Amino acid sequence: MNVKKLKVTLLSLVALSLLVVLTACSSSKAAGEKLVIYTNGDEAASEAMKSALNEAGYEGKYVLQSLGTSELGGKLLAEGNQIEADIVTMSSYFIESAQQQHNMFNDLTFTTNALEEHPPYYTPVLANTGSIFVNTEVLKQKGLPMPTSIKDLAEPEFEGLVSIPNIMDSSTGWLLVQAIISEYGEEEGKTVLRELLANSGPHVESSGSGPIKKVQAGEVAAGFGLRYQAVMAKESGLPIEFVDPIEGNFSLTESVAVVNKDDATTTLAMEMAEVIIRDARKELLTHYPVALYEGETVADMNKPAYSMEFEQPLTVELLEQHQEFFKSAK
Amino acid sequence: MPDVKPAMRIIYIPILLFFTAFLVVPLGILFVRSFETSDGFSLSNYLSVLSNAELMASIGNSIKISSLTAVITTFLAFVLAYALNCTNIYKPLKAAIKTGILIPMLLPTITYGFAIIYSFGNQGLLTKITGENLFGIYGFNGLLIGYVIYTLPAAFLLINNSFKYIDKKFMIVSNLMGDGVIRSFKNTIVRPLLGTLGGAFVLAFILSFTDFGIPASIGGTYTVVATQLYQVMLGSIPDFNNGAVIAVLMLLPAVFGVLLLNYLEKLNFHYDKFTAIGMMQHRGRDVSFGIVSTVILIGMLSIFAVMFIAPFLHSFPYDLTFTLTHIIDTFQSSDVRTVYQNSLFIALSTAVLGTLIAFCSAVLNVRTAIKGRTSTDIISMMTNTVPGMVLGLSYLFLFNGSSLKGTFTIIVLCNIVHYFTTPYLMAKNSLSKMNPIWETTGELLGDSWMKTVYRVLLPNSASTVIEMFSYYFINSMVTISGIIFLVTAQTSVVASKIKELQHFAKFNEIFILSILIFLTNLVVKLLCDHFQKRKFNHL
Repeated sequence: MNVKKLKVTLLSLVALSLLVVLTACSSSKAAGEKLVIYTNGDEAASEAMKSALNEAGYEGKYVLQSLGTSELGGKLLAEGNQIEADIVTMSSYFIESAQQQHNMFNDLTFTTNALEEHPPYYTPVLANTGSIFVNTEVLKQKGLPMPTSIKDLAEPEFEGLVSIPNIMDSSTGWLLVQAIISEYGEEEGKTVLRELLANSGPHVESSGSGPIKKVQAGEVAAGFGLRYQAVMAKESGLPIEFVDPIEGNFSLTESVAVVNKDDATTTLAMEMAEVIIRDARKELLTHYPVALYEGETVADMNKPAYSMEFEQPLTVELLEQHQEFFKSAK
Repeated sequence: MPDVKPAMRIIYIPILLFFTAFLVVPLGILFVRSFETSDGFSLSNYLSVLSNAELMASIGNSIKISSLTAVITTFLAFVLAYALNCTNIYKPLKAAIKTGILIPMLLPTITYGFAIIYSFGNQGLLTKITGENLFGIYGFNGLLIGYVIYTLPAAFLLINNSFKYIDKKFMIVSNLMGDGVIRSFKNTIVRPLLGTLGGAFVLAFILSFTDFGIPASIGGTYTVVATQLYQVMLGSIPDFNNGAVIAVLMLLPAVFGVLLLNYLEKLNFHYDKFTAIGMMQHRGRDVSFGIVSTVILIGMLSIFAVMFIAPFLHSFPYDLTFTLTHIIDTFQSSDVRTVYQNSLFIALSTAVLGTLIAFCSAVLNVRTAIKGRTSTDIISMMTNTVPGMVLGLSYLFLFNGSSLKGTFTIIVLCNIVHYFTTPYLMAKNSLSKMNPIWETTGELLGDSWMKTVYRVLLPNSASTVIEMFSYYFINSMVTISGIIFLVTAQTSVVASKIKELQHFAKFNEIFILSILIFLTNLVVKLLCDHFQKRKFNHL
C-alpha cells in the first residue's frame, strides 16, 4: 500500500515537473538576452534613437519600449534598479529624483560637451518647448479669433474646441501649468486653468502629442503642446499655425541614464548610451530644435518668441505641487 | 465508472497543484495585500479608498453604465435570437446574423473604442455620411456603444442556445387555445427563457464592468473602475495596496453575479422532448423582424467598417486616395513582427496547454470516481468569477520577485486560468454524454485507463477539443485586461502594443494591428470549423 502511494506521488511529481519544464522551455526563449531601453520620448525621439543604434550595428540587440512619462516615472520610483530597463531616457528631473531615492544609475563613462552643466549620471538627449497651435480651417469655420495667449483659449467662445495635455500623465502638461503659474500666480492662475479645463472637456489628453493630433484631425480648433510638432505640421502643408503664447515658452530636457546592473550589461548599455548622444543628436535636433551641445545651431523659425525658464528648479516635488494645483482647478 | 487508478491521481494531483499555485495562492496574496499597511494589517486601505470621492464615483459610474449596457444588450440579443428561431425570415439573412454577430469576438476590445472614434467623431466616417455630429462620443455614449458591441455576441450565443431547447409546439397550442399575442408570447417564450435572459443580463454586466480596453480607448473624462485600477497601479504615484483594495472591490460584483447566475439556473425549463416544427406564416412579423435584425447587424458592423478603410487611405479623412504605404511601413517595422510572433506564440501555447488541462480536469470530473473530483467544478466557478485584471494583478503581487516575472510563461499561465471555465464546461458537456461503460469495456479488453482515454474518449470528443482550442486561441489573441499588468518590453503582445500606439495616437497602425489579429483569428476559426466538420462526417 505504501509502495503504491509512493509510486503515485512520484509519478505525479514527474508529470508536474514535465509541465514545469515545458513552460520553462518556452520562457527561456522569452529571455532572448536583449538590452532594454525605456523611454518617455515620443515617436520622433524613439525613431531617431533607433536609427542611430541600428546604424551603429546594434539592430536586434535591444528593445525600445515607449511609456508615458507618469508610467515610466512610477516604475522608476517603485522599482529602482530592479526595473527591466538597462537604459532610461526620461525627463531630467525624474532621473534626479530616482537617483536620490535609489542610487540606481551609474556615472556615465563618456564625456560630452553639453552647454549646460548636469550631474555625472545623465546627459541631455533633447529639449522640448511648449506653445499654442491652431487649425486655421476650423478657426475660420467656427468664426473664432486667432489666440495670442493661453488665457485666450480659456474664453467661452473656445468651449469644446481646445485640447490640452494632462499634467497627471504628461510632462508637456507641466509646460502649460508652468506658463500659467508664472504669469498669473496661483490664485488668478487657478481661474484661468479652471476655465481652460472646462473648455477642453474630453480633450484633456494623457499624451503630450494628443492635442496636436486632435487639432490636426479637426476635432478641436486650438491646443497646447510641443512647438516643434506644430512647426512640422505646418511645413507638411496642413492648415496648422503655431502661436507663441505671451505667457512664455517653457522648456524641459530629457536625458539618458544607465541603470546600475551587472557589469557586462552595464558596459554594453554605456556604449549604446554614448551612441545615442553621439549619433542621434543630429536627427533629434531637427525634431526638437533646441541646441544642447557645443556646435549645434537651429533655424530661426524654431526659435520661440518668448523663451522662459521657471523661477524654481524643476523637481518631482514641484511637479507634485503643480499636479495638486491642476487637480484643484478641476 | 471505473475504480480509481493510480494514473488518475497522477493527472489529478498536478492539476490541483497548478490551480493552487496559480489561482488560489495569488488571490490569497491579493487579499492579504489589501489589508497591508506600513504599520501592520488594518482596514485603513479600505477606508482610504472608500473615502476617495473620485474612486467611489468611478465605481458608481461602472455600475450605472454596466447595468444599462446589460439591459440594452439582453434586449437586442433576444430580438436577434427570436428572429432566428421564431420567424420565417429569409434564410441567408439568418445565416448572416449567425456569423456576423460573432465578428466582434475576433477583435480586442481596445480596438472598439478607436473604431467608434473614427466612426462617430467630428471627422468620423458615419459623421461625414450623415453630415453632422450625432452625439458626443467621449465618455458615456462611446462607452455604452462599445460595451453593447462587446457583450452582444456572448449574450446572443447564450439566448440563441436556449431557444433550441424550447418546444415551439406550445406556441401553436397557445394560439389554438385563443391566447392573445401578448399572453402567448409571455407564456411560451418569455417564461421558459426567464433564467437565460437573467443570465444574459448578468453576463453582460460582468463583462462590461471588468473590461479595460474600451474605457482605455474612449473613456474620456468618464472614469470607471478598470481605468482607475490601472492608474493607481501604473500612474505617477503607484500605490500597490490601494490597487489591491480596488481589485477586491472589483471582484465583489462578479461574485454576486455568479451567485445570481447559479440561482437563475433554477428558473430554466427542461422540456422532455422538443419537436422541430415550421413556424406559422405571419408576414408582418417576418418583415419587421427581418428589418430590425438587419439594422442591428449593419449598425454593429458599420462601426468596424472604418477600421478596414482608414489604413488604406493616405490621410483619413483629408486625403482619401488609396495607398498601401501605411501597411508596408507597419510591416517593415521589426517591432511589429516581434510582437506578432509573441502573440502567436502565447496564443498557441495557451491553446495547447489550456486545452490539455481543461480536458483532463473534465475527464477526472465526469468519468472517474476519484475523491475530491468536484474540486474542478469549484475551480471553474472561481475562474468564471475572477476578472482578468484582478487575476493579472494578483500574479504581479505574487510573482514580482520571482524568475517568472517578465516571462511568456506567466502570461500563458494567466490566460489558461483566466479562460478556463468555458473550455472546461464544453469538455464536461461532451464527456458526460458518452456511454459510461466505455472505460469498463476498455479494461476488459485489456487497455489501461490512460489508453482508453486516449483511444476512445479523446477521439470521440475531437470536435469539442478543437472548439476548446479555438476558444483559448482567439481569447489569448484579443485579451488585454488579463495581461496588461504582466507584459514587459520583451514580452509585449499585439494587444498591448495597441495600447502603446494609442499614446502616440497612431490610428493607422492601431487599425492595421487590429486587422492582423482579426485575420489571424478568422483563419484559426475557419480552420477549426473545417476540422470539426470533417470529424463529424467521419462519424
